Amino acid sequence: MRRRRNQLTIAAVTFLLGVLVVVQLRTQASGAAFAGLSSQDLTVLVANLDDRNDQLRTEVATLEQELGVLSQNTARGDVSVDELRADLRRVRLYAGIDPAMGPGVAVMVRGPIDGSGIEDLVNELRNAGAEAMSIDDVRLVPGVVALGAAGAVTLGARQLGDTFTLDAIGAPDKLTGSLTRPGGIIAQLSATQPDVSVEVTPLERIGVPATDRQLVPSHGHPRL
Amino acid sequence: MTSMAARLRSIPSWQITLGAALLGLGFLIAAQLAAQGPRVRYTTQERAPLIETATQLQQRQDQLKARILELRGQIQANEQTSEGSAEQVRQLNDQLQQARIAAGLIPLTGTGIVLQLQDSQEPVAPGADQADYLVGARDLRSVVEELWAAGAEAVAINGERMTPTSAVIDVGPSILVNAAYLAGPYQVSAIGPDDLYARLSASPGFVDLIRTRAQGFGIQVSIAEPEAVDIPAFAGTVTLRYARPEPSPGASP
Repeated sequence: MRRRRNQLTIAAVTFLLGVLVVVQLRTQASGAAFAGLSSQDLTVLVANLDDRNDQLRTEVATLEQELGVLSQNTARGDVSVDELRADLRRVRLYAGIDPAMGPGVAVMVRGPIDGSGIEDLVNELRNAGAEAMSIDDVRLVPGVVALGAAGAVTLGARQLGDTFTLDAIGAPDKLTGSLTRPGGIIAQLSATQPDVSVEVTPLERIGVPATDRQLVPSHGHPRL
Repeated sequence: MTSMAARLRSIPSWQITLGAALLGLGFLIAAQLAAQGPRVRYTTQERAPLIETATQLQQRQDQLKARILELRGQIQANEQTSEGSAEQVRQLNDQLQQARIAAGLIPLTGTGIVLQLQDSQEPVAPGADQADYLVGARDLRSVVEELWAAGAEAVAINGERMTPTSAVIDVGPSILVNAAYLAGPYQVSAIGPDDLYARLSASPGFVDLIRTRAQGFGIQVSIAEPEAVDIPAFAGTVTLRYARPEPSPGASP
């Protein structure tokens, strides 16, 4: 009788232990990454993830189509030179090796802005879907950054003047909206750097030059 | 008497089992309570479905990225076996490989450094903003900008490759890079010249960042210089919707 009660106690405790182990592991697996996010933050996060997953889905569809054409060509014994060329154009355009043209915005900046203010503008435009950008005809690719205090900003090897234009290709309304929204980046800049004026002009057609930078690394090599 | 001795022998065994189980239980209850008590408590009813949705979307994103990398690999393999005018195809494939490396579509390995940034452990000073004690998007962008300026040739944050379209933004106390939601600690990996670390630590901007963020608020910054730094490929979209190739270069309006 007593032995039986002991066994029951142990059974009950081990059961509870098991439940708690599972609960704890689940909490750590899913909850931990989102700990500290309010419902409002989570709503923004979900909207962002949803939006970006759609873009990834479109890319998957594009790649599946491309692979389909290539496979058909191979099966028929055809050469895929056109597909290779199209692929090359697409990747070069994205990387900034080729000049680009399209709708977008021209952002005219006047006054002593600092490097991080410029980078904030660029980051905001990228977040709003800017596809290709340049500042005073210098294509913005990885490695080209605006640095320094107001009045002494460099862009790559070049000194940036007090007035310059940031051109960005993308959806003009979306790019304009993201910069000019209340509490947005322009509003923040006018609070922190009041002597700077930023003027956004949506354009149907805007040109962005190719980079003159060597983009293939000399200290890294492809990892297989 | 013999039955008494048997009981004495038998008692410790279950007591030890029970004791061990209760000890484990205690730990787990404490861990669970600690895990449920983040920096700020929010009402659980509205958060639970949102957290579930976010988790599902994140898992879906991982699958989509894996699929993109898989398809690119298959396309590349197919292109390289493409026959015909061998010389022309070979040249095109060489150009494609160079363009893919330039675009960040190929994983790289090389010399470089890894910086780790972690939220401050210091207590928030009276009247101070708690957000200042967390690693923010601005911190990561500054580190990335300083790395580029110091000569880095490829950079990634927690495995997210920095490309021409990469944005780094705050979502509440955490950070969105490319399409991915990242939580700390944040590791910024960079491939660059042998003296990348020396160049970075000599930069006034980097020194300033360390002074204001690490010394000012206790943001934990550590730097490692492994023998080889691995940078993954960009697993996102490179298909542009608005930009088109322009036949003649540099014709800005």
